Amino acid sequence: MIESMDAVKIISAHRGEALIVADMTPGTELPIVTTRPELDLPFNWAAMGKGSSVSLGLALARPDRKVMVTDCDGSLLNNLGSIMTIGSVAPPNLIHFMFDNGVYRCTGGQNLPKVSGFNFSTLALEAGYPNIHRFSDAETFEKNIDYIIAESGPTFVHLKIVPGCGPNYPYVRVSDCVDAFREALAKS
Amino acid sequence: MLFETGRSAVSSEKMQLFGKQIIEEFKKCGITHIVWLPCFQLGFIYDVMLNQDDIKLVPVAREGEGVAVAAGIALGGKKPVVLYQNTGIYESGDSIRLATFELKVPMLVMLGYRGWQGTDSAGVVMEPTMDAWHVKYHIMKDEKDIGMIAIADKEAQELQQPVALLIVGETPK
Repeated sequence: MIESMDAVKIISAHRGEALIVADMTPGTELPIVTTRPELDLPFNWAAMGKGSSVSLGLALARPDRKVMVTDCDGSLLNNLGSIMTIGSVAPPNLIHFMFDNGVYRCTGGQNLPKVSGFNFSTLALEAGYPNIHRFSDAETFEKNIDYIIAESGPTFVHLKIVPGCGPNYPYVRVSDCVDAFREALAKS
Repeated sequence: MLFETGRSAVSSEKMQLFGKQIIEEFKKCGITHIVWLPCFQLGFIYDVMLNQDDIKLVPVAREGEGVAVAAGIALGGKKPVVLYQNTGIYESGDSIRLATFELKVPMLVMLGYRGWQGTDSAGVVMEPTMDAWHVKYHIMKDEKDIGMIAIADKEAQELQQPVALLIVGETPK
């Protein structure tokens, strides 16, 4: 299992110029480690589950940029149709990371309504994502992330995250970040 | 209740012309993407929309998802319109909040106005819902109202938030 913060650190360290939409818990972790805050949209105060959809819109509007979303299992369940839409529209520049910890961490660790053994990777495969990856240790994930970023997507990266609640970090409002994000996008 | 505008096979000539005008007006406004789900009232637009290449089409699985996709498109510097039935917009409240208050992105939201004047429950809370969500709206009935698209587009750009166009369909003869 991977610590959520370790996964965020690895993504942040290897992102290059990629835009990142960080949903829910990763949205509290990314602002602590990011070196490119102007390219980040932390979504913890925004619409739950809609990070994947906003990232799809960004990927369509800016096909010249890599776009990443750090989604979670709870937020993906909240917007499950998005996986079919992304598979169908198939933007080659979108990388969909999915943090699978089995709980709603932001609200205190309540269990998801998910049957044991349900596999999000299989769902992404069936939805038409051409690349599916699954990692349960940080070292293997980091060894492979550059190759994954270079692939033509959409790419689904299923990360097995340590279950339960980790540390709580301060929430960052996306409305406080969006002007800098818009400005950075307009310049590049 | 059935609406004549619901399917291409039964769309009147008048509404087919209206559909063409709407798509042409979108092009004049610089719309780059139509994010859409099928709507019974908007069939007359879909016939035209599906047979053109100038505006990219993004079919989605649910309306709230679509508003968020459109928000991303707008944030990325392009110009989206979402095309739904009003019943679907009720499911989009959190995404409308996101677009209006958090991301502050302009977009046109064109909705088939099922139940206009209270003919079914879908219409009863339509306008109060738009008011509650701080979404400015205009009601379009036919080709005479085509200018409302440019007006709404200008308002969306000025306000930096979604502005809605509610399309009233024809009732059966």
